[in-house]
Amino acid sequence: MTLATEWLGTVRYGEALALQEQAVIDRRAGRTGDRLLLLEHPAVVTLGRNSHEEHLLTPRAELRARGVDVHEIPRGGDVTYHGPGQLVGYLILDLEPRGRDVDRLLRSIEAALVDAAGELGLAAGTLSGMTGVFMRGSEQTESKPTGRVPARKLASIGLGLRQWVSWHGFALNVSVDPADFGDIVPCGLHGVEMTSVAAELGARTPAELGSLARHAVERACTEHLG
Amino acid sequence: MSISVDLPELGESVLEGTVSRWLVKEGDAVELDQPIVEVTTDKVDAEIPAPVAGVIEALLVAEGDVVEVGAALARIGDGSGASAAPPAKVAPQAASAAAAPVTAPPPPVAPAADGPRATPVARKAAAATGVDLRAAEPTGAGGRVTRADVERAAAAPASSPSAAPSAASPAPAAARRSRVPDFGHYAVQEGDLVTPMSPLRRLVAQHMVFSKQNAPHVGTVAEADLGGVSAVRAAAKSAFRESHGISLSFLPFIVHATVRALRENPQLNASVVEDSIVQKRDIHVGIAVETEKGLVVPVVRHADRLSVAGLAAAIEDLSSRARSKRLSADDLQGGTFTVSNPGRKGNLYGFAIINQPQVGILRMGEIVKRPVVREVDGSDAILIRPMMHIALSYDHRAVDGSPANAFLWRVKDLLEEADFDV
Repeated sequence: MTLATEWLGTVRYGEALALQEQAVIDRRAGRTGDRLLLLEHPAVVTLGRNSHEEHLLTPRAELRARGVDVHEIPRGGDVTYHGPGQLVGYLILDLEPRGRDVDRLLRSIEAALVDAAGELGLAAGTLSGMTGVFMRGSEQTESKPTGRVPARKLASIGLGLRQWVSWHGFALNVSVDPADFGDIVPCGLHGVEMTSVAAELGARTPAELGSLARHAVERACTEHLG
Repeated sequence: MSISVDLPELGESVLEGTVSRWLVKEGDAVELDQPIVEVTTDKVDAEIPAPVAGVIEALLVAEGDVVEVGAALARIGDGSGASAAPPAKVAPQAASAAAAPVTAPPPPVAPAADGPRATPVARKAAAATGVDLRAAEPTGAGGRVTRADVERAAAAPASSPSAAPSAASPAPAAARRSRVPDFGHYAVQEGDLVTPMSPLRRLVAQHMVFSKQNAPHVGTVAEADLGGVSAVRAAAKSAFRESHGISLSFLPFIVHATVRALRENPQLNASVVEDSIVQKRDIHVGIAVETEKGLVVPVVRHADRLSVAGLAAAIEDLSSRARSKRLSADDLQGGTFTVSNPGRKGNLYGFAIINQPQVGILRMGEIVKRPVVREVDGSDAILIRPMMHIALSYDHRAVDGSPANAFLWRVKDLLEEADFDV
């Protein structure tokens, strides 16, 4: 299976949603192969249908006044934030030839992001029982919101399936300021703290981190998902 | 000939999913691969497609249900309906009949656990129509009773159940014959006007039944002297109309007093979530509005941050959009408490049904001038004052009498103080 990757630049959330819907239809109809759409969103908070209002920590009006879009989406899942400095990857994959195995797909995405983080000089890993990619060393915290050190989350993963074609995908925090997540409890996970590649690298952050990260993700995804 | 739509395997660690939304209803025709239901797992949100074209015969699980991989979600038939003959059910029935008596003696009104296997939708339908699940011929997967089976049983004359009880358990089976009669039954007669419920009406009906069944309602009522509010309103009215372009009713004052009282009595701004009581930080007040299509309850968000004028504007905006059917889903969600104003006439007071998952609802009565006794200059006097009853329904699972009374008393107090800036 080949995976075509495309860099779309900065795309508003609503627009990207429409784009994905079309991409799913095209994939289902066989007009395209499997695709990875890479892009960034302007600052946006999304709320799924099952979102807990209390996980949105700042009133909508205030967010909008600050220029942060608030977008309600017809899917499950909780509150998420996307914004500049975050590399978003939408995976339009037909799962039929992949054995309809969501588990395997999620593990492949995680593995790809762990590899990409490694290429950027970070020791990342996964946590059992939690989807996503975390900084290694935060494994012992597990998912419980106890008094322990919170797990530092580098990338979030959230998939949708429509007629066995996947959509949505992952968001890797490249240079996004972890404070930008302050308006939400990410994905409803207490005891998880957002971090970013730049925040972890600190002074070691290269000037061209944005494009380096994009190429690392492209390579890793092609390897693990292609 | 019908085909069962099961929750597919999504990967080895995905064992169950939550039915988040039905995209079709019973009786709908569906095409091959048309998404029929959304299921949320901890890994993925999946739309489950129809494996064949046909007609949805039965939805076997309800929204919010957690189902295991492989469980039947729905049944799709070829549309002939009648030909969807129940498969031979002898074995499962005998099995359940044999298993049931172990737990005997059964209570007269058997709880779900003791009855036959049935889908949650069917249980709700049975509860609503008073049909005994045991009287329904199960046609669902695994010998489960479906909603269609309940409806068939409800429509059938109250004769003996079709299948003879298994010989393995004659005594308990006989005891179970004394079924709950169908109190809601009415045979439509010539000249009656039959109006099928609109989807909104059905939703309202289901919500009302759900609320009454799940929340033990207690009512308490207070009487407020609106003389002060009246004076504030009269003084501000014409200027308000000029500057805001809308008329100033009593409602925003009542809502204003209510949110202040909620702030001070957060027990009433809460939800029952499983075994917990959740007090909410934010106050979003639902305003019950009757439209020609039915009852809707749009929500004023962060009502505690609004002035009387702000509330008036927000309520006016929501109710005008409700009447012109331009409310978004967002406008209807997230309320933490509700105020109902069902009109002035013929409404001394009354108790509303709690708008779930909230724990309280305040219902305004009519405003009438009454003689009341007040102390004036140290002696009792009879005065004529505009009085209104305010009735609070609260959920006794979460709230006891004294906090409820304290809240209601505070609303009355605030209204009588009439310390409002307009």
